Amino acid sequence: MTADHPDNLNEMLSVIADAMADGTPLSVSGCASKSDWGYAIADARPVSVDRWAGIIDYQPDELILTVRAGTPMTEINKTLANKNQMLGFEPPDPSVLFAKTDISNKGSIGGVLATNSSGSRRLTAGAARDFLLGFEAASGRGERFRSGGKVVKNVTGYDLSKLICGSFGTLAIMDELTLKTLPRPEVSKSVLIPATDLAAAVRHIAAILATPHEPSAAAILPSDIVALASLDSSLDSSLDYGQMLAVIRFEGFAISVNDRVNAVLSLYPDGDSIDDAASQTLWQAIGNTALLADAAGDIWKLSCAPSAAPSVINALPDEWPLRYYADWAGGLLWLDVPTGDVTGTILRQALADHGGGFAQLIRDSGNTRSLVPPFQPLSSPQMALHKRIKAAFDPKGILNPGRMHHAI
Amino acid sequence: MQMPEPDAAIIARKRDIVAKLKTILPATSVVDSEEGCRAYDADGLSAYRQLPLVVVLPETVEQVAAIMRYCHGEGIKIVPRGSGTSLSGGALPLADAVLMAMGKFNRILDVDYDNRCVVAQPGVTNLAITHAVESEGFYYAPDPSSQIACSVGGNVAENSGGVHCLKYGLTTNNLLGIEMVTIEGEVLRLGGKHLDAGDYDLLGVMTGSEGLLGVVTEVTLRILQSPATRRALLVGFDDTAAAASAVGDIIAAGIIPAGMEMMDSLAINAAEDFVHAGYPRAAAALLIIELDGPEIEVDALIERVAALVNTAGASSIKISTSEDERMLFWAGGKSAFPAVGRISPDYLCMDGTIPRRALPDMMVRMASLSQTYGLRVANVFHAGDGNLHPLILFDANQPDELQRAEDFGADILRACVEMGGVLTGEHGVGVEKRDLMPIQFSEDDLKQQQRLKCAFDANHLLNPGKVFPELHRCAELGRLHVHHGKMPHPDLPRF
Repeated sequence: MTADHPDNLNEMLSVIADAMADGTPLSVSGCASKSDWGYAIADARPVSVDRWAGIIDYQPDELILTVRAGTPMTEINKTLANKNQMLGFEPPDPSVLFAKTDISNKGSIGGVLATNSSGSRRLTAGAARDFLLGFEAASGRGERFRSGGKVVKNVTGYDLSKLICGSFGTLAIMDELTLKTLPRPEVSKSVLIPATDLAAAVRHIAAILATPHEPSAAAILPSDIVALASLDSSLDSSLDYGQMLAVIRFEGFAISVNDRVNAVLSLYPDGDSIDDAASQTLWQAIGNTALLADAAGDIWKLSCAPSAAPSVINALPDEWPLRYYADWAGGLLWLDVPTGDVTGTILRQALADHGGGFAQLIRDSGNTRSLVPPFQPLSSPQMALHKRIKAAFDPKGILNPGRMHHAI
Repeated sequence: MQMPEPDAAIIARKRDIVAKLKTILPATSVVDSEEGCRAYDADGLSAYRQLPLVVVLPETVEQVAAIMRYCHGEGIKIVPRGSGTSLSGGALPLADAVLMAMGKFNRILDVDYDNRCVVAQPGVTNLAITHAVESEGFYYAPDPSSQIACSVGGNVAENSGGVHCLKYGLTTNNLLGIEMVTIEGEVLRLGGKHLDAGDYDLLGVMTGSEGLLGVVTEVTLRILQSPATRRALLVGFDDTAAAASAVGDIIAAGIIPAGMEMMDSLAINAAEDFVHAGYPRAAAALLIIELDGPEIEVDALIERVAALVNTAGASSIKISTSEDERMLFWAGGKSAFPAVGRISPDYLCMDGTIPRRALPDMMVRMASLSQTYGLRVANVFHAGDGNLHPLILFDANQPDELQRAEDFGADILRACVEMGGVLTGEHGVGVEKRDLMPIQFSEDDLKQQQRLKCAFDANHLLNPGKVFPELHRCAELGRLHVHHGKMPHPDLPRF
């Protein structure tokens, strides 16, 4: 079915009214860069907000950006870069992970928020959901509503911005969005510290996070992933790249970054540092999951307590052709694992046995999502509450039904 | 302030209700005497007082769940309360409601340095979290001015902020997880020591929901390593507009100070009389700017900030050279409320936010409103994030002064919304700003928020009469109206 491209929110309200009248669900997208994430929506009429593009207001000295949901990330990043600013949560570029022959783009801001996609700086700066200050949207009731505001500090009414982020378009169709921006750091450098195993790497990072040296991101790359990062060609270093590395990033004013990097290197004499250009290249590869882009198996994302990461990884079967790396100080695990439903069950059990968390199927190389839920299953009281919330916004189940879970 | 009509049938059943609650809790944890209830009749918004039906002091999640189940089954309302420091009346009791005071949930359960978090019961005070971890160099960032007394559970309910939120965020940005009890008595765990659960962000929805969606029984808070250094500047301006634009210049230069407070002339002089911090009495506006971080960075940036404020037209600049001096700079700002309390028998503290560029217009508007109402106003302002705290001076012993002060405050908040801002930056809506909600939100906006409420509490039993000016029945809110004459399945009977 060819997609509808309403020009504005009023036209979208009509599309929703039609959908309510004939009971046809809508499959809502922005740039459709992440459309393989979650379940496909059965027998749906595609509708796109790609025409809702443009910057409405940008006040760099108030850290406020108001845009329409379909605005491409490339445009947003360019606008912010012109004023030496950025989105603090470092939204990943999905084109690497979800590259398709017909669609290859960097997504829209609406899509980034709808999927609550956050990159490596999430550890210290917060997630996408922490940066949405307010929005206007169309509910599945076919009504226009606003929530939040256009100022950085606001507690007026329920914080629906949080709810809408990560709801994958199942509650409302976002139009106007107001985000908090941050200054772009003058310099970014990274310290690389060799580690004997994952547990040692997690400990090194925890120790550095317990100093006042203010890292902005911290990842762990096993030796096979280090090889993919082609680090040794990018710098002149004495470090042996045939081993696991903890990678810790420092950002900010040059004088401060240099001082902090030196302070950390004095604590870890066997470590080394990489400069701004090499650091930025490496962190793009980490944040965009480029390091697993050639995965033969399925790609899963696990979120756990950082200190639980070694136990979770150790709980996985030895016979798996497992490739993985960690971000968020160990709290985010990206895995390339065998396709199939058994994998999901094992991953979720490993998390449940080691303090909890969630496992999400991000890229399906086979038929996995028809066998195992791509999103972490919810307890029955939680699911009941999710259903009631869905009904509060979309009583007829018109908006992206089943994208996350069959029942919502 | 009109509160929902108390249910006489519930009040008539008080004796039975108390007896039943005493089977759930030890008798000493159920307070039903008028004298005992008197201690709970107001929160920080003490202009409003109401005796609760009965006060319960649970200390386990099972007790909370049992009370909720019982009240839900019997249709009895519940008002949750932390330390009772809300400035918006969020914990104001209702005559026909059980007041659930969470003060006995006062233990820190787990200090986890490996994962940089603290698990605590909701009655623990905000400052106690920092005290529990400061020996290892950590602290809990949100620092509402009541942090010595306010509870972390209350912080979640109100999404509390503080002086440092521009850089470090509000409660919602520093909360990793909660355990909560629904009105049905169901215990839910949201989030935990991991980040971003990947389902609907109920943790985010609960934060700042002002006790209308559930009762928090445990919190997991993110702790941060304390910055190595803190230094402050004290900058006077002859002109408020110049002070406001200096703040913008600092942020545009890529510097996010840990705190930026502005005070107007009346506040400057009240504070100076009170603490003798060396404030420039002749200044129209005073900025206290604090930078924190690595020493070398703070030392470099403080010079940059000094140059920026100088270019912006500062009339005086002092830079702290010692920790004592930094504390002295802050002493005036932190004591602004008691300082104003010395020059006026009573004051009302308002809490709107505006885009900072609207500040000069707002100062003009406030001066004109001050004339209209014949009441003075002192301003303390979180300048970095545009959060205003006008203190309206009045004398409650004079007939109609409270009413005039409240009307003045409402006009200030109307002006905030008109200038592109919001009704409340950190104090919450509660009862105080409830009836102003339609200024900021349309009827559809408010109805959508209330539909969310219905998903959690279909019978409006949790903290009714707060936040929303009108209580709509959930069935009515759920009704679909006809779109362009196209009602889905028009032949089916509805409701």
